[in-house]
Amino acid sequence: MTTPPSPPLNSPQQGSPDGMEELRSEMNGQEVNAHSPLIVGIGASAGGLEAFRTFFSHMPASDDFAFVLIQHLAPEHVSALADIVSRSTSMEVVEAVDGQRVLARHVYVIPPDATLTIAEGELQVSTPAPPRPQRWPINTFFTSLAEDQGDSAVCIVLSGAGTDGARGLRAVKEHGGLTLAQAGFDHAAMSGMPANAASTGLVDVVLSVEDMPARLLAYRKQLDVTRKQQDGVGLGQDMGDQLQAVLRLLHAEVGHDFGQYKRSTLMRRIQRRMLVCQTETVVDYLARLRQDRQEHQHLFREMLIGVTEFFRNPSTFDVLTEKAIAAMLAGKGANDTIRVWVPGCATGEEAYSIAMLLREAIGPHGGPKVQIFATDIDDRSIEAARSGRYRAPLQGVSPERQQRWFTRDGADFCVIRPVREMCIFSVHSIIKDPPFSRLDLVSCRNLLIYLNADLQSRLFHTFHYALRPGAFLLLGPSESLARSSGLFTVVDKKHRLYARRQTNLADRGISFPIPGPATAHAAPLSMAHRGGADERIDRGARRLMEKYSPAYLVINANGDIERFSGDTGRYLSPNPGSASLNVFNLLNQRLREPARVLIRQAFDAAKAVVQEGLSVDIHGRPQMLRLIAEPLMNSDGKAQWCVLAFDEAWGSHSTVHAQSALESARSDGESPSRLEQEVDLLRSELRTTVELHQSVVEELQSTNEEYQSVNEELQSTNEELETSKEEMQSINEELHIVNAEAQSKNEALTRLNSDLRNLMESTQIATLFLDREMRIGSYTPAMTELFHLRESDVGRPITEISARVNYPELRKDVAQVIRHLGVVERMLYGQDDERTYLLRVRPYRTLDDVIDGTVLTFVDVTESLRHELERGQLAAIIDSSRDAVIGYTLEDIISSWNKSAERTFGYSAQQAIGQPLSMLLPADATNEAKAIFESRDPGARPDKFEATWRTQGGQTIPVSVANSPVRNSVGSVIAGSLIARDISERRDAERHARMMLGELNHRVKNTLASVQAIALQTLTSSPSLEEFKANFLARLKALSQTHNLLAKEAWDGVRLATLVRGELAPYQDEQRTSRVRLHGEDLKLSPRIALALSMALHELTTNAMKYGALSDTQGTVDISWEVHLVDQRSWLHFSWLESGGPEVVTPTTHGFGTRLITGGLAYELDGEATLEFLPTGVRCTITIPLSELDPDT
Amino acid sequence: MLVAMLLKDTLEDAGCRAVMAARLAKGLEIATFQTIDAAILDINLAGQPSFPLADVLQERGVPFVFASGYGESGVPDAYRHVPVLQKPYDMAEIQAFITTLLKEN
Repeated sequence: MTTPPSPPLNSPQQGSPDGMEELRSEMNGQEVNAHSPLIVGIGASAGGLEAFRTFFSHMPASDDFAFVLIQHLAPEHVSALADIVSRSTSMEVVEAVDGQRVLARHVYVIPPDATLTIAEGELQVSTPAPPRPQRWPINTFFTSLAEDQGDSAVCIVLSGAGTDGARGLRAVKEHGGLTLAQAGFDHAAMSGMPANAASTGLVDVVLSVEDMPARLLAYRKQLDVTRKQQDGVGLGQDMGDQLQAVLRLLHAEVGHDFGQYKRSTLMRRIQRRMLVCQTETVVDYLARLRQDRQEHQHLFREMLIGVTEFFRNPSTFDVLTEKAIAAMLAGKGANDTIRVWVPGCATGEEAYSIAMLLREAIGPHGGPKVQIFATDIDDRSIEAARSGRYRAPLQGVSPERQQRWFTRDGADFCVIRPVREMCIFSVHSIIKDPPFSRLDLVSCRNLLIYLNADLQSRLFHTFHYALRPGAFLLLGPSESLARSSGLFTVVDKKHRLYARRQTNLADRGISFPIPGPATAHAAPLSMAHRGGADERIDRGARRLMEKYSPAYLVINANGDIERFSGDTGRYLSPNPGSASLNVFNLLNQRLREPARVLIRQAFDAAKAVVQEGLSVDIHGRPQMLRLIAEPLMNSDGKAQWCVLAFDEAWGSHSTVHAQSALESARSDGESPSRLEQEVDLLRSELRTTVELHQSVVEELQSTNEEYQSVNEELQSTNEELETSKEEMQSINEELHIVNAEAQSKNEALTRLNSDLRNLMESTQIATLFLDREMRIGSYTPAMTELFHLRESDVGRPITEISARVNYPELRKDVAQVIRHLGVVERMLYGQDDERTYLLRVRPYRTLDDVIDGTVLTFVDVTESLRHELERGQLAAIIDSSRDAVIGYTLEDIISSWNKSAERTFGYSAQQAIGQPLSMLLPADATNEAKAIFESRDPGARPDKFEATWRTQGGQTIPVSVANSPVRNSVGSVIAGSLIARDISERRDAERHARMMLGELNHRVKNTLASVQAIALQTLTSSPSLEEFKANFLARLKALSQTHNLLAKEAWDGVRLATLVRGELAPYQDEQRTSRVRLHGEDLKLSPRIALALSMALHELTTNAMKYGALSDTQGTVDISWEVHLVDQRSWLHFSWLESGGPEVVTPTTHGFGTRLITGGLAYELDGEATLEFLPTGVRCTITIPLSELDPDT
Repeated sequence: MLVAMLLKDTLEDAGCRAVMAARLAKGLEIATFQTIDAAILDINLAGQPSFPLADVLQERGVPFVFASGYGESGVPDAYRHVPVLQKPYDMAEIQAFITTLLKEN
C-alpha cells in the first residue's frame, strides 16, 4: 500500500481531523464554480518566450480563465514579456502587483527579482527574490496555487532548463489539479523542465503548446459538467452505483482491492481521471476502463499518488527519538536486531529518515543491527526507493544531515550506503499480504486516513500481532486508534505515538489472508460484503425476537459470539485466563455442555432445537431455564450463524415448539441413573476430546506462526534477491564499462605496438633482445649488418649465429650483465675494420621489474669517431696556433679559449670561459673599441680590426683581430670566434724600419757631403781637369770600395787586412802587389774607422804607385799594425813604410793626401798621424783609439 | 773628416779662424774656455748628440747653427729656433750665414 497523498507540510490543514480535507476542497470546488475563472499557472525559463507566444496565439480570451506567467529572469533584467505576450492575445497582460485579485481575461506576469504566490485568489509579490540556490519561482507559485485553488488549479510546464516546476506540479496534482507539460517534436516531453516534470509521473498530459489551449477549454467544460452533477443528483449517485464496478475491475486487473478505501477519496480520484480522460459519466469512464488497459494503470497510479518527504513533521521525529528509539535501543547489544516496518513507504523518504535517526542514536561505534522493512504496493515507488536517489533540493533535511547521510551526484542526492543497507524495500500489500513480526516499531503514517474503519481496525490488530510486547506504533497526525485503543497504550497523544499493550485479546481476531490467486481476490470481496451481512443478521435477529423476548447470543460456526442481546450476563461466567469471545468459554458451567449439544444440532439439522428444564444458579438462586438454538441462514440457504436464546419464562409456556433429543430419550423410559452415568461418561469423553481439540488448535497456531516467519524469511530472501539482481545489474554495467575500457586500452596497445614496430623498422641503431637463455627475441633490421640473422632465427640461441663482427666475448658479457645487472660497454670492429660499433649490453627489465634477458644495442660510431678525430686535429691546430682563438656565444660570453689566448692574455681557459668578452677591454678603451664589443651580433662585427686589449696583468697589448661568425646549416649566426694576434713585435719592427730609413737618409746625406768635400778638395789640388777627373774618380772608387766591404759585412765592420788588400785591388799587378807585405793580427775595424782609414790608405797607395816604392820594380811596402792597451783603451798603431823605391823628394806644398792624413784623419778619429817623406821611402804612422772614450769618464 | 776640412777651408777663406772638434768632450772644452764668435754644430759628434754643447753656447751667448744630415727633424724643441744647415752644404749659404752671424755681433 502506498502512502496516499496527505496535506503538505506547510498547508493550513495540517493536523486537521480526518475529513476536513474533503470538506475544504469541495468548498473550493464550489467557490471556483460558475463564473470564477480557472487560474492557470504557466512556468518557463528565460528562453520560453516563443512558447508563451504560441500558447496565447491559440488561446481565445475567455471568462473561464486567468493566467499567471512565471519566468526565470535575472534579477536585474527588465522583462519585455508582458509586451510580447500582449501582442499575441486580446487579454489584458499586466505585471503582477501585490494584493491584486486575479480576474478572468487577464494575464499576469511575474515581476523581475520577485517571488510570486497566490492566496485567496489574490497575488502576493515579495521582493527581492531569494538567492539563486533557493530560487524556485515556478515551484513556489505552483505550490501556492495548488493550496489556494485546490482541484481548480491548473499548471503548465513549458520549455526551459533545469528542474524547476516539478515539485510545484506534484503539489498541484496532489490537490487534484490538472498538470500539463510541453511536448517536443517527438511527442515526448521536451528535455529540461518538461522532461523533469514528466519524470515525476504526475503529468496528466504531455502535448504540444498549440494543443494546450484546446485542452484547457475542454477541461473547463468537463469540470463544469462534473460540478453540476455533483451539485444535484450528482456524481455521488452515479458514482455510488458504479464505484463497486470500477473497483472490481481494478481489482481484477491490477490485483489490488481499494474496496475499503474511503468512498470520498475514491470518488475524488476517479473523478480526476474522468476529467483527464474527458469522459462525462462514470458509465463512460467504466467503458473506457474496460477497453483501455493503460487506463487501469493510470487509475491505479492515481489512487497511489503519494507525497512524502524526509523528516515530515519534524517534531514527531524528535518525539520518536526521545521516547521510542531510546527505549528500543536500551539493553540491545551487537547481536540483537532492531526491526522496523514502514508500510506504505512510497519512495522511501520515511524509511530513510528512520534509518538516519537510528544511526544517529546508535552512533558510529556499532550496536544492534537494524532492519527496516519498507513496503508499498506500488512497484515503481519501491524501485525509486531502492535507488536511494533524490532530486535536489532536499526538503526537510538539515545541512548537517545532508552532509552526513547523502552524497552529491550531479543534481541528485544519494543516500549513503550504510543507511541504504539498513533498509529492505519490497512490494507488499498490508491488506492482502501477511505482516512482518517481532517488530520494534511500526511507522504507518497517513495511510489509514484513506481506509474505512473496518480495515483500520483490522490493521491495528495486524500491527498488534506484528509488534513485540511494548514495541511502538507511530501514526499520522490525523489518525487515531479509535475502536482499537485497547490494543495500545498512548505514549504521546499529540504525535500519535503508541506502545503495544501486553494482551492476548487480539490473538483471536487475527485472520491472516492467505496469499494465493484465488483467495487473494476472494477474501477482500467477502470483506466488502460484510457490511450487508451485518444488516441481515440484525434484521433476522430482530424478526426472531418478535417471537421470543429472552436474552440471546448470535454465534458463528466456530462458537464465537458475534452479537449479544438482552441481559445475557446472567448466564455468563467467563473462564479465568485470557479473554475470549468463544461461547463455550463464557457460558455458565452448567450451561456449557447443553449449549454445545444444542448448537451442534442446530447447525447440523439446520433447524431450531430447544433444551428445556435446565437449572442454573443465577445470583445464588436456582432458576429453571429453557435453551433455544436456531440457525440463521445466509443467502445460499446455509446455516452461517446460530441464535442461542435463554428463556426463563419457559415454565409458563404451554406451547412446546420443539422437543429436544434428551426429552425424547427420557420419555423412552430409560432409568435416570443409567442415563446420568452415561452422560457422565460422555462428558468425560467430551472433555478429553475438547482438550485434544484445543491442543490441536494450539499446534495449528504455532504451525501458522512458523509459516508466518518462514514467509517473512522468504520475503526478506526475495528482497535480498532483488538487491542481488540490482547488484548484478550494476556489476554488469561495470563489466560493460571495464570491457569498453579494455577495448580502448587494447586499441592503445595496438597503436603502441604499431609505433614500436615502426620504431624498430626505422631505427638505425642495431638492437637485439635476448632472453635469459640467449635466445633471439626480436631485433631491428640494422642487426643483419652485424649478424647473419633471418626471420626464422627468432628463438634460436644467438651463439649459433655467425657474426660479421669480431665478438668472441658475447657469451661472457651477457652472463655478466644478467649476474650483476650492470651495463657492459665495448667497442667492436667490423670486418676489415671498416666500421666501428659501440656495443651496450643492458639487462631487460619487464614492467614488473623482473630481469628477463638482455638488450644489446650496437651503435655505429665510425662516423662519430672520424668526427672525433677531426675535431681533435682541429683542436690541436687551434691550441698550437700562435694566435689567440676565442669562441663566444651570441651573448658575447667567452665559450672557448685556446693555449695561445692563455699565453697572450694571461687568463687560463678556466678563468676566461664564461666571462664576457668585454673583460679584454682596457679601462681607457676608446669609444670606437667599445662599440665593437657593444655590437651583439657577431655578423655585424667587422671582419678584421685592430685593437688594444688588456691582459690579466693589466698591461695592454696591440692585437690584430679577425672575427668570424659561426653559422648553422641554414646560415643563421649561432656564435662567433675571434682570432687575435699579438702585433707588438710588428709594431717594433715598423718603428725600427722608420728609424733605419731616417738613418739611411742621414748617411746618404753625410756621404754626399763627403763626396762634395772630395770633389772640392780634389778640384783645389788638381792642376788640370784631366788630373782632377782621374783623382776624383779614383777617390770615389776607393770610397765606394770601402762601402762595398762594409755592406758585405752588413756594416758590422771590416778586417784591416781586407781593407788594405781592397785598396791594392785596382792595381791588378801581381808583380807589384806582391811586394806589399802585411804584418798584424786579425783585427776588425768599426765602419767609422774603416771609412776614414780607407781614405788614408787610398792616398798612400796612390802616392806609392805614382811616385813611391811601387812606382818601380824593386821597392817594397811594409804595412804593419798592432794593438796596445793604454789607459784601459785599445789603441791601434798602424805603420806604412816604403823602401827600395826611387829616392823621395819632400813635396813643397801639402797635397790633399797629406792634409787628409795629418789633419782630417787625426781629427776624425781623435788620434795622431804622421807622414814623413824619408829619402828611402815614405813612412806613415797612425795611432788611433779603437773604442770611443766614454764621455762620462 | 773631409766635410770638416772643407768647412774649415771655407771659413778660413772667408777670413775666419776655425777651430775643430770631432768629439763632444773636446767641443765642450773649446766652447767653455776659448773665445769664439760663432759655431757650426754637427748634431752627431762621433755618435753623440751635440746638444750639451749647444746649451753651453747658448748660455755664453755665442751664436750657432746646426748642421745635420737628419734635417730639422733631429732638433729638439728647445732649439727649434736655431737654423739647421742641410748636408751637403751650400757653400754660399754658409758664407752668408757666417757673415750674418758676425754682423749681428
